[in-house]
Amino acid sequence: MSSISQNAPGKTVLLMGNEAIARGALEAGVKVCAAYPGNPSSEIIGTLAKVADELGLHVEWSVNEKVALEVATAASFAGLRGLCAMKQNGLNVASDFLLNLNLSGCRGGLVLVVADDPAGVSSSNEEDSRIFAKLGDLPLLEPANFQEAKEMTKSAFEISEQLGLPVLIRSVTRVSHARGNVCLDELPQSRPKPRFENSLRFHALPAVLNHKLLHEKLDRAKQMFEESPFNFYRGPEKPELMVATSGSGWMYSLEAMINLNVQERVGVLKLGTTWPLPESYVLEHLKKADRILFIEEVDPFLENNVKEIYAQNCLFLGLKAFFGKASKHIPDVGELNPEIVTHAIQNLIQVPYEPRPADYALRAHEAAAELIPARALSFCPGCPHRATYWAVKIALALDGRDGFVLGDIGCYSLGMGPSGFGQMRTLHAMGSGTGLACGFGQLNRFGLEQPVIAVCGDSTFYHAAMPALANAYYNGADFLLLLLDNSATAMTGFQPHPGTGSTATGKEAPVIDLKAICEVFGAHVEVVDPFDVAATVETLLRLLQEEKGVKVLILKRECALVSAKHQKRLYQVEVEQEHCLGETCGCNRFCTRIFKCPGLMWDKAAGKARIDEAICTGCGVCTRICPASAIRKEKA
Amino acid sequence: MFISRDPFNVIIGGVGGQGNVLASQILGEMLVSQGYVITIGETYGASQRGGAVMSHLRISTKDQFSPLIPEGQCDLLIALEPVEGLRILDHYGSPRVMTLVNTRPIHPMDVISGNAEYPEVSKVIAKIKELSRRVWTLNATEVALEMGDPIFSNIVMLGALCAIEVLPINQQGFELVIKDLLPSRTMDENMKAFNRGREVVQEFY
Amino acid sequence: METGEKVNRGLKALGEKVLNSDQCTACGACLSLCPYLRSWKGRVVKLDNCNLEEGRCFAYCPRTEVDLDEVYRGFFGKSYEEIEMGPVRKIMMARAKDPIWTKKAQTGGVVSALIDFALREGVIQAGVLTPRDGDLLPQGKIITNRKAVLSCAGSSYVSGPTLEALNRGPWKGQERIGIVGLPCQALALARMKTSTLEKKTPIDRVDLVIGLFCTWALDYKPFMAFLYKRVSSLSIKKLNITPPPERILEVMAGKTLSRIPVDDIRPFIRPSCRVCLDMTAELSDISVGTVEGKEGWNTVIVRTAMGENLLKRAKKAGVIETRPLPKDNLSHLKEASLLKKRRALDALKEMGEIEKGYFTLSANLIKCILSESGETLP
Repeated sequence: MSSISQNAPGKTVLLMGNEAIARGALEAGVKVCAAYPGNPSSEIIGTLAKVADELGLHVEWSVNEKVALEVATAASFAGLRGLCAMKQNGLNVASDFLLNLNLSGCRGGLVLVVADDPAGVSSSNEEDSRIFAKLGDLPLLEPANFQEAKEMTKSAFEISEQLGLPVLIRSVTRVSHARGNVCLDELPQSRPKPRFENSLRFHALPAVLNHKLLHEKLDRAKQMFEESPFNFYRGPEKPELMVATSGSGWMYSLEAMINLNVQERVGVLKLGTTWPLPESYVLEHLKKADRILFIEEVDPFLENNVKEIYAQNCLFLGLKAFFGKASKHIPDVGELNPEIVTHAIQNLIQVPYEPRPADYALRAHEAAAELIPARALSFCPGCPHRATYWAVKIALALDGRDGFVLGDIGCYSLGMGPSGFGQMRTLHAMGSGTGLACGFGQLNRFGLEQPVIAVCGDSTFYHAAMPALANAYYNGADFLLLLLDNSATAMTGFQPHPGTGSTATGKEAPVIDLKAICEVFGAHVEVVDPFDVAATVETLLRLLQEEKGVKVLILKRECALVSAKHQKRLYQVEVEQEHCLGETCGCNRFCTRIFKCPGLMWDKAAGKARIDEAICTGCGVCTRICPASAIRKEKA
Repeated sequence: MFISRDPFNVIIGGVGGQGNVLASQILGEMLVSQGYVITIGETYGASQRGGAVMSHLRISTKDQFSPLIPEGQCDLLIALEPVEGLRILDHYGSPRVMTLVNTRPIHPMDVISGNAEYPEVSKVIAKIKELSRRVWTLNATEVALEMGDPIFSNIVMLGALCAIEVLPINQQGFELVIKDLLPSRTMDENMKAFNRGREVVQEFY
Repeated sequence: METGEKVNRGLKALGEKVLNSDQCTACGACLSLCPYLRSWKGRVVKLDNCNLEEGRCFAYCPRTEVDLDEVYRGFFGKSYEEIEMGPVRKIMMARAKDPIWTKKAQTGGVVSALIDFALREGVIQAGVLTPRDGDLLPQGKIITNRKAVLSCAGSSYVSGPTLEALNRGPWKGQERIGIVGLPCQALALARMKTSTLEKKTPIDRVDLVIGLFCTWALDYKPFMAFLYKRVSSLSIKKLNITPPPERILEVMAGKTLSRIPVDDIRPFIRPSCRVCLDMTAELSDISVGTVEGKEGWNTVIVRTAMGENLLKRAKKAGVIETRPLPKDNLSHLKEASLLKKRRALDALKEMGEIEKGYFTLSANLIKCILSESGETLP
């Protein structure tokens, strides 16, 4: 039994931040949950999907974040509680709906969780989503640890219902993707019946009137937040320095205080309701200190908003010094960590800090510099994308017209790096590879002679590339779309999608056939198995050279990590040492130096290639590339 | 058995795909069931694709700590791969750190392609020893391969962790946790892997 | 400290000096030796850098630095001195006697008949030829019987990587191979034979090289693009260029014959042909071409003992008949051959210095070639 579905009040369990958010929603009696997967938010809905049947919920992976928010909103309009989760890029997609929904208002509790990825570790960008709360005049909560992630989510539903507004929760990687003890509360047993009240209207018009009503709701939110338990101060009454922080910054600040042993000198104002800020509460605490340091991840959101409050009230607050991103005490890009915060505080109050003996640090650095090779990201062994990019690289070279690949978001974004042979040239929003191809596909009339290729994953296709493909046919663009169909949303944890035949909760679902859709959209469509590199190269060349208009090549091969879960390996692969000519071959280590699948290694002692049996998954693609045919495969 | 510091900081590090997330989750669950307050920060997403990955575990009797361990404050390093162990010591090590290391290398792409050298494993282990108070070694991958699947190496490492008696964990605790976390059909093999790890780990002097 | 970068004689240099400089003849000598080079539609493509300092690809290429004296000494035992049309033992007119060869061949069918005879007599056990049936894109093929020889009769005026078939094999125990190739391919084969590199190709098995006269060859891709614009049908069956002074390319496509002036197809001549010194495939055992004004006959130049022996046996067996080559034809041939050399030198001059061209020849010889008389100076 999953710990998030236990009705065991008082029990302490280990939960990931995302699981804690899911549990909070369950404790609030959520009924409808929808999302499109995206790190670091994916486990919120993923966790709920696992307990959906047991607890009688509707949980779905929607095709994109806008649809997900609409699905969750429908529950709210019908009087139920709805939850929607997404990553920062997802909110961009959903924002069109959200920035009407704020004006129309909602009914049942509606919570939108957005998990930001500071430093863009698993993202195509770095972005601070909190600006959307300000943009849309919507209440915003920022959990600072796991227990709070649960409590805040629960509370967000209450706030939402009281105000008739969706409430945003902004998490970050180190809250969502971290684990900690969480004490459970009761799960409600109520079974509310949904009903759409026909006397109600949900729309933004007249916009000005509704905008005014929205501002009134926001004022009420501000009043509510004055008493919020998610805002508190810890520290001396008159601190030398006050740290004002939200979200992950809270834990780093505490850590820094312990590191520096300055709990008696520095206070921490931890704010959980960061939009609208509880003005009186903030003013109250600004009085405590003359020097204030802001600790928050990505943009100076809290910093600027607090400064705004200060500016309005500076006459009676007196002079204050503010430190943070504007003063360069805290980097204004990337992720925070305990060191950054420790050093910022140390710098401002001048205390000694030596995390470890200097000579040890020196020895460790020397050893690292001498011995540690860099470890670049790479496609997994057996990944169909490696085979695909290999074929693309060969086909484009043979074609000889300097063709290029417009990229998209998914595991295959690694096509920009060495394991994708650097083939991918652009990376922006979901579906943008195909959208850009629509534009490039028109440039031949100006003399563009280079072939245009877009890549797009199966899940990404349903998410955002379908409109682009329709556009391509309608407007007569000329390009080749490679649909990398690995039958999963692999990057985010193998979630199902409309092409996989199952739903979020594991039920059978109708399959929306990629090939059929593309054909309906007027494309010339072919399907090939990327593991058959020769056929793939041949098909690519034929499509590039002989077909005009929109062409789609579906490269169908299941994600190796998914395959490993339900089927045996395809082949036992071996480098026959007597056939590998090694250093004398003249291939100059083609298999490892150029193809460089992690399942291959160069045995320095033998001067020959070898299969790393701990890594190789037996896809057999490398057997074709050896000029001496020394890499052999046998049916496993 | 108790933790020797509070918080006691553990890092499990290796290469994406080696199962560090699962290892940290199992370890965390084992400790929560003993009443400890645990915080775990881990690497998800893109880095899981062949990159260097880490899980940070903070073990305390009273408080939650940041999911990232500060510089130089690792108490116990569980390295699923030798140079990754050294990479972690570079930032998180200190004279007090103890290290349990799987001696089987996984070559990074740069090494496979010949753009970089993978150092002699013995040299790496010697450096780790120089930078650690105590070191234990085993070839967990080899043990897992002998069992027929390298996927068990993280469990072998947890068995080894149990044997070195640095943390308050035991076999019963492991059994209870994996009953909850892992499919029941893998129970026997996971127990076997755990026990093999306990048997083969050796202190390195 | 000065390290002085080593001069690359591998794929890197091949890429710079040949492939990317439009100097590739598409002979195929560099293909199927390594995974870095591939051909597609008559183009040789470098897929990656191999990073090696020297390689067979560079060593065998007919457009990389070559000391012609060295190669001619290796092949004939004497330097590059017969500047008109290379070493000649005998020169004559010849034609195949069996109409099976003359019917399909454009001229006297001597090449096909000789290969067929050599196969039947066991002089060679396999041949590497260029099939003319089907696609116009020339590809090398290993043949071992008459039917296959027949499929290779005729010409296409398009160059293609025939020699790849020699490198690729598979050679199932055949120890004696005969190859029919263009002058650039004959040069590549001679370079393979005389190469000092440790790694070999199956060149040691090559016992017979029959060279084809060539003034230029066309680049497949642009030429085909042009052809498809000119002819209606997609199935092009046969190409033929009528003899001078008319010089018309006849294209049999579907059931219609199109006639295209040769001047229209000149833009598709491979640039590498413009610097070629060799019209008569000098580095062959036997060279074969047309005879001006004598339809149904071939000019045959016998250059080596091997060639002489084969021709003698073929004649004796009644496979071919010969006649002396008329004096006028001989002098025309010499003129044409020298003209090609002069044009190549002029082209090189235009591109820069002749001395920086791909071959080394003594200044004296260059002067001889460029002089009107073509006489060797004492």
